[in-house]
Amino acid sequence: MLKWWPLFGIRRHLTEKKAYTSPIRLQSLYGKLFQRSLFIYILDVGSSNALNFEISALESPQYNIHRFGIYFTDSPRHADVLLILGRPTELMLAPMNETLNQMPEPYYVITIDDSMDDLPMSPYPEMRHHVAQLKGIPSPSELLGLLLELIKNKRIAS
Amino acid sequence: MRLLAGVIEIDGKEKLLIIEDGVARLEPVESQAQREEFGCYQLLKKRELHLRRGSVSGPGVFRFRYGPVTAGVREAGCFNLYTFGEKILHAGIDVSWKHRGIEETMSNKTPQRALALAEAVCSNFAFSHSVAYARAVENALHSNVDMGVQNWRNILLEAERIYNHLHVITKLASAAAQKVLTSHLSSLFEEALRLNEILTGSRYLMGINQVGGFHHLPSLENMQHAINGYSLIAKRFEQLYVHSVNNANYMDRLHAAGTITADQAIAMGLSGPSLRACGVKDDLNTTISHLIQLPVITQNEGDALARMEVRAEEIMNSCEYIIDHLKISDAWNFNTDEATKSIRENGEGCGIANSPSGAVAYYVVLQDGIIAHARIFTPSYVGMHAAAFSLDEYIFTDFPFIFDSFGVHFSDAAR
Repeated sequence: MLKWWPLFGIRRHLTEKKAYTSPIRLQSLYGKLFQRSLFIYILDVGSSNALNFEISALESPQYNIHRFGIYFTDSPRHADVLLILGRPTELMLAPMNETLNQMPEPYYVITIDDSMDDLPMSPYPEMRHHVAQLKGIPSPSELLGLLLELIKNKRIAS
Repeated sequence: MRLLAGVIEIDGKEKLLIIEDGVARLEPVESQAQREEFGCYQLLKKRELHLRRGSVSGPGVFRFRYGPVTAGVREAGCFNLYTFGEKILHAGIDVSWKHRGIEETMSNKTPQRALALAEAVCSNFAFSHSVAYARAVENALHSNVDMGVQNWRNILLEAERIYNHLHVITKLASAAAQKVLTSHLSSLFEEALRLNEILTGSRYLMGINQVGGFHHLPSLENMQHAINGYSLIAKRFEQLYVHSVNNANYMDRLHAAGTITADQAIAMGLSGPSLRACGVKDDLNTTISHLIQLPVITQNEGDALARMEVRAEEIMNSCEYIIDHLKISDAWNFNTDEATKSIRENGEGCGIANSPSGAVAYYVVLQDGIIAHARIFTPSYVGMHAAAFSLDEYIFTDFPFIFDSFGVHFSDAAR
């Protein structure tokens, strides 16, 4: 007899209790404004796909980002943070700028550049509230540390 | 069976990159009959970034453009769907938004530098790309690669297959709103990425393979850790899989979605799980000699469910393969500091690897030890075409199941 789905693995504790840290120190522009929750819109503009996979990994129960009030949203108009994955291809510059235009004030922009320097990618344009520029492929725990640093979430230590 | 992996046209001369009995080789095109043998010849020759151009007109029919900025498809890519509201009448896919010109950038690079570019085509297939590229260069330079290196490559190709297959099945479960299943699968996906890091130092198996050799090997302690980890993944995944196939809601969403026949799959140049789900045995597992032969998993229905079932069974087989091989890997002695020396600096060659979604193939020409030309043929390119073809006549609710079940990626297709 198979167990009812909601009971499957219910005794398994997958969420890890760790302090997530990022080597990048951020100056939060808005103080305590996003302390209780942070909604993030993901925009891929030319990444090699590892960053998309790391975002999927960040959604795994090990990190359980919802306990910190962090959510991914389906529209830039509902977002507090625009997380830009990769350096833009030429074609993606215009959609990227349009997405930036759709962000409601106040907001943050974080870019993660995983492109090799040899590739003919466009540089990032000047962006307001561009609080962090990461290079390479950060692990989900580093990424979570960065987001927690951004919101100065006091629930991290507990 | 003979599979056409790519069509190469340089300086007006045309060559076919054929996979026959698991071996990749080049055939100069001398007659029209050679071209007509393969249904995917035109597709592979044109290498278009706008797949399945075309339109449909009629009362109330309009073009629904989905992408390149949408939360539904995270990668930068665009679907052109012709519909009158519910049924998809014609689907086209535009991958040009992700085109980074990697092939062109490889020219005039050293083989080792170009290998890093091969890994950057699609990071979740980084190891397959790296192996196919390295095999092409080794083939061009007539290098004999140590059997230990070949065995390690096979192990890590299976490691790549496990986390990619887990990712695909997680997406399918998520699309079917199977929250509990999705959470458990997602945790296994993260565990598989961590095991990659334990084995190679990289969650995406990057920077470990090199032309003619391997940069470093894991310690015995890490290998034991990986053996335990893969045993656990296989055990937990099997429980989840058995449970999930007894769930009628989940099965209903996948069954009869995006069905393609074996003839259609062959004509479109598919390989990997999408071809095997149509009941066709490809020879990709025999690409190189395995110490323990991997079984070729097939299904007959050719729908999203069959593609998922092939992937699910491959996860368990790949875990077993890795465990068996890691246990005996300390007997493979080779020097990781020195790659095999090539005996010449000029030549052309091709190489393939059995990636999680089908054959990755590379063609390279070297002059004075430098890459003069490179061509990359990815499973996502033909897979995107097949996914678009399969979307026709289905409704929008079937969209994620059909597209995700092919396990294709815009970065891989766009190069």
